[in-house]
Amino acid sequence: MASVVLRNLTKQYSGNNAPSLDMLNLEIADGEFVCLVGPSGCGKTTALRMIAGLEDVTSGEIEIGGRIVNDLPSRDRDIALVFQSYALYPHLTVADNMSFGLKLRKVPKAEIEQAVQSAAKILDLVDLLKRKPAQLSGGQRQRVALGRALVRDPAVFLMDEPLSNLDAKLRVQTRAEIAQLHHRLQATMLYVTHDQVEAMTMADRIAVINLGVLEQYGTPRDLYNFPNNQFVAGFIGSPSMNFVSMRINRDVERVHLTGMSADSNIKVTLTDEQSDILRKSDGSDIVVGVRPEHLIEGSIDHAGFSAVAKVEVIEFLGNDEHIHATSDETDLVAILNAHSSVARGDSITLSAPLDTVHFFDPTSGLRLS
Amino acid sequence: MANIVQSTDLTKRRRGLSRRLPTRGPSNIILGIIAIVWLVPTVSLLVISLRPEADFGVSGWWKALLAPSSLTFSNYRVLFDQGFVAGGLLDSLMTSIEITVPATLLVVLFACFAGHSLVFGRWRGRDVVFLIVVGLMVVPVQVALIPVVQFYHELGNLFGLNPYGTIPGVIIFHVAFGLPFGIFLMRNFMSGIPKDLLEAARMEGAGEWKVFYRIVLPLALPALASLAIFQFIWVWNDLLVALVFLGGNAHTPLTVFLYDQNHELQANYWIISTGAIVSVIVPLIVFFSFQRYFVRGVLAGAVK
Repeated sequence: MASVVLRNLTKQYSGNNAPSLDMLNLEIADGEFVCLVGPSGCGKTTALRMIAGLEDVTSGEIEIGGRIVNDLPSRDRDIALVFQSYALYPHLTVADNMSFGLKLRKVPKAEIEQAVQSAAKILDLVDLLKRKPAQLSGGQRQRVALGRALVRDPAVFLMDEPLSNLDAKLRVQTRAEIAQLHHRLQATMLYVTHDQVEAMTMADRIAVINLGVLEQYGTPRDLYNFPNNQFVAGFIGSPSMNFVSMRINRDVERVHLTGMSADSNIKVTLTDEQSDILRKSDGSDIVVGVRPEHLIEGSIDHAGFSAVAKVEVIEFLGNDEHIHATSDETDLVAILNAHSSVARGDSITLSAPLDTVHFFDPTSGLRLS
Repeated sequence: MANIVQSTDLTKRRRGLSRRLPTRGPSNIILGIIAIVWLVPTVSLLVISLRPEADFGVSGWWKALLAPSSLTFSNYRVLFDQGFVAGGLLDSLMTSIEITVPATLLVVLFACFAGHSLVFGRWRGRDVVFLIVVGLMVVPVQVALIPVVQFYHELGNLFGLNPYGTIPGVIIFHVAFGLPFGIFLMRNFMSGIPKDLLEAARMEGAGEWKVFYRIVLPLALPALASLAIFQFIWVWNDLLVALVFLGGNAHTPLTVFLYDQNHELQANYWIISTGAIVSVIVPLIVFFSFQRYFVRGVLAGAVK
């Protein structure tokens, strides 16, 4: 087991103007489960491949277990990588796939046998050991790929979107299995995914990356409750946060926010303290963010967000409904209880209490507190 | 388990469907006729080789099929009884093997190395080198004969080692002209091997050599087997290169041996037919022993 530290890690491919990964700083504690999450092409897989030693480092340092590994070949870094494609050796049986690395390291036969058996037991592969990868289902192949990493007992597990080739049901199941595996092994794991649900459900800490830059690094709770900026706020949470551009109205006794149009249907009332802060600030606009799950139907009597909106689409999900509505030509999504009597075409009031409303700078996208 | 049962049911159903398709019967008949027509020359050769020498020219070979008791192995016995005298059948057979086996092994070996390096190597100009190799495939052997003979003599003048007229000289030529196609075939096949597999092996501690023979080579076996068969048959059946490069050597391959039986006014048909049958047997053995490596879908299950 080991900690991983990335210092100013940068990757610049020749021919590209912007670096694929720009000055990434990350500390992963021993035994921690960290997810790198971000949209496709954000550089998260590049970061993982650099840690794995499959890509050269343009600049910066990678430290695994207290030793700088920049110039060490992959095989000497004591890491195991689970590939997105699984990368199972098709000509070898499951048992041979799992023992491949140990055989290369000339581990005694009895030890290999024992390692394979115990990994197979953990992953429920005992009956499949003599099969070839072609004879396995997707989920079984995925488990073999995990098993191959497991038998090596590496200091750090790296996983590159290991669930993306599974169907939705299996993905949920395997997600739980990986989380359980981590709990059992107490191993350092670095997990790359574009799926924020995977990250939220499994990770101790999440690093959100966009366009090669680390946007925020923190616990799932922190990221959800206190997103650093508009990107993180929109990326974490599903359906994603509603954003509304609003005008700061300072001409009245107590500052409040209204939609951009003159006869706006959207309004945010503020506390005295917030009102004072905004009165002293510059700028006329602000971006307001409200999560769909914080919106309720009907008005509230204390300070907060409220919008009169026309219901366009209702998605029934059983327990809840996703309401897509428009107000001042802004799309709003709300998760309402399925027992609500909202119908398409209705005009409804959507409100959220002030402590669930987020404010962002319209130019920098940074969170305003 | 339920999934597996279901899928076998499906294949059964599909098989049932294809059995009912009406097009299969006629196409089988046509293919059968083509196969028979194709086989007639070979069968005639076999029959001629089994007829007494005296019968040849008296009646057509098919007459022998009406009297199978007249067939005899005497032709084979006479030729085999000569033993390994230079210019005899057995000696030619050995010479053919001496040329073909190394020429095949070397091409397969070098083509595998080159393919691996061209696909998985990390050096600049791989594509250019590959294009040059592909370009070399269009050079006809005939164009190179005289220059290479001159080159061999030049080697003799400079270093006292003239490969001309020797078996290694023929092998070198065959290897040189077999390699472009070999490299082309191996490179294209290997480029279908997912790079993830190699990266996985490297991460698990395999050096480049281990990656090559534990991962790439086993997965390239089907291509390797086809290349071996192609190259073997090409070299085995070669007459031109052997005629040019072995000039004056007492040991000649089977093709030259058979060619020598054609005399100006008369040919030794009994020797030609018998020798031809012998010369067909070896490639057949090679073909059938390599055939089992033609496996479809070797890469199934590797990724996704």
